[in-house]
Amino acid sequence: MDQIERRAFMKGAGSGVLAFTVGGVEVLLTPGAARTQGVPFRLLNANEGETIEALGETLVPGARKAGIAHFIDHQISVPAEEALLQARIFNVRPPFANFYRAAIGAVDRGSEKVTGRKFAALSTTDQRDFVNNMRQNKIEGWTGPSGGFVYTILRSDAVDVVYGTMEGYAALGIPYQAHIVPTKRW
Amino acid sequence: MANEKVDVVIVGAGASGSVYASVLAKAGKKVVLLEAGPDWQMSDLISSEMWGRRIRPAGAPFLLEGKNPFGYAGQAGWGVGGAALHYFANHPRFLPNDYKIKSEHNRALDWPISYQDVAPFYDKVAHDIGMSGDAKAEEKWRPAGQSYPMPPMKTFRHGEIWVKGFESLGIRMVPAPVAMNSTEFKGRPACIYDGWCHVGCPTGALANPTVTYLSEARKAKAEVRALCSVTRVLTNAQGTKVAGVEYYDEKKVRQVQEANVVVLAAWSGQNSRLLLNSATDKHSKGLNNSNGLVGKYMMTHSIAGINAIFDEDIQNHLGTIGAQYMSYDRYGKTSYKDAFGSTYITCGAAQKTHDFASTRPDLFGPDLHDYMKRAARGFTRISMFGEGLPNIENRIELASDKDEFGMPLGRLTHSFDQDAVALWNANLEEGQKAAKAAGAKEVWVGRAAIPTTHLHGGTIMGTDAANSVVNSFGQCHELPNLYVAGPSIFPTEGASNPTYTILAVSLRGAEQLAAKWATVAG
Repeated sequence: MDQIERRAFMKGAGSGVLAFTVGGVEVLLTPGAARTQGVPFRLLNANEGETIEALGETLVPGARKAGIAHFIDHQISVPAEEALLQARIFNVRPPFANFYRAAIGAVDRGSEKVTGRKFAALSTTDQRDFVNNMRQNKIEGWTGPSGGFVYTILRSDAVDVVYGTMEGYAALGIPYQAHIVPTKRW
Repeated sequence: MANEKVDVVIVGAGASGSVYASVLAKAGKKVVLLEAGPDWQMSDLISSEMWGRRIRPAGAPFLLEGKNPFGYAGQAGWGVGGAALHYFANHPRFLPNDYKIKSEHNRALDWPISYQDVAPFYDKVAHDIGMSGDAKAEEKWRPAGQSYPMPPMKTFRHGEIWVKGFESLGIRMVPAPVAMNSTEFKGRPACIYDGWCHVGCPTGALANPTVTYLSEARKAKAEVRALCSVTRVLTNAQGTKVAGVEYYDEKKVRQVQEANVVVLAAWSGQNSRLLLNSATDKHSKGLNNSNGLVGKYMMTHSIAGINAIFDEDIQNHLGTIGAQYMSYDRYGKTSYKDAFGSTYITCGAAQKTHDFASTRPDLFGPDLHDYMKRAARGFTRISMFGEGLPNIENRIELASDKDEFGMPLGRLTHSFDQDAVALWNANLEEGQKAAKAAGAKEVWVGRAAIPTTHLHGGTIMGTDAANSVVNSFGQCHELPNLYVAGPSIFPTEGASNPTYTILAVSLRGAEQLAAKWATVAG
């Protein structure tokens, strides 16, 4: 058995560090730092990233700054068995990018149908109203994965980046108490 | 180059497969375990909800249908150790009434064996792997047996706070039996109560297979081949015996492993999927499936989760993901009027931020954040596991869609019957009474969907080939050198977490196989 130091400080996992490519070099950053530094997306386009950020921020305050779009972009670009997404627990069939593209499209189409504007362009109040209807499958003319399911998955992603990290635990006043330092880079 | 023929090939390196590997390797047999996922090391078990998802399946090969689809991916395993690499290690045993429901109530099915047949193996497993608890306290509900090798685990306020509430309803709570170390055991350290069990315990304090039976198997020269996906069980030309398995290795190259005996120890859905996918001209409906019962009688437990916030800092981050306290006081099959089936009651699991968030799925935005702050201080919950009876309509079938190896996906259809739904509702009502009696400030339950947990059935045991797939040892009725292990052979599911019974029944089967090796493998 490996020797494990009691509550060893966990560099990486708890703080949500992932490997991003910047200028051709792989560096470890939190999704939030990747956002701040303007690291380009691997798979998402700018509009998709914008929708995810707006949706994430509506679901969990702080998700935009925590880098939810970079987190999802990174996770859908790696092999499914390496992904950290809650989507795998909800039996979403890989490749996970297909689900996220369908979800983003459904949100923006639904928003345009109801308000004439894409979701990211709505006011904070309108975004909340839209999400509240979406989670209850009450958006008229909705097409794509069910609104309730999109809500569940994206909300979980936002919870991940805001509350699932060591910083998130600290913000809530909860001791993280990690056992282990990750031994390999992601 | 062809693989050398071995004595036994075991499909799956989880709880049940590890028991078979240990017993047979120590008996001198050449054992190969084929595991679909990676060979996880203790250093891979990172303390993080997100990183913990890596040891669960991705690209799930099952389509989920029915009124109450079984949400298995969070509970299933992917890799060495199987689901037991990240299980909660709650180890209640099934009680005598679980084995004889048909005889006692003219409902469901009987096991072909009784509690007394399994009891010695419960005791043996406890001392093999290490368990903590108070056996004497449990004996108000079950026949006496040996003491557990370790005293009960420490308790914390978020578990203790429930006890009086339950007592006011006549429900006696006792220390929960768990496969965790309250003291050092066989060189493995005592638990440090940090609550990360569900993403894999890297210290060895929790008795996952990699530090118990699988470790022993490896010491006895059993070989584990990781990232090897078995697609078919192969037979001899006459179709009278199995001859080995077909699998795809880590490079996705087709391989054949010949063996004198095959043990299917994948998870419940996969055992049936493999048998159905192994059809030949001699076994046109799938192996060992002349009676059409392979894949039938799938069962899951319901979970009545009662959530509460108390107006004090109850330090819910401390402890383990296993229960602190448990009760069998509603385990009688007719405990509730208008419902049928057993209930196993637990409380005191440590909580993480995702647990808070998932118990109020309706909240988002600033409302969610306000709730998270309250939950961090005072949230705790009760889990009441409810039994579902075997129903032949709950089943595994092969779908037309295929996986990367050309193997048809499984389709798992599951619906709770009226009794199970009534039992879940009764548990929700009683649990809320307990929470209010305990002084909770906020109490709520989710009723949008019935949560499911623990999959059983598909290759059930019985007295003969007319009513079952395997005998009480897991040996197939039609193909005597093919064994099936794990909860797929349970004909009823009780309400107890299944792993302790999986280990006990597997140990019984493995020892029988070792004792009758010449007859079975010859």
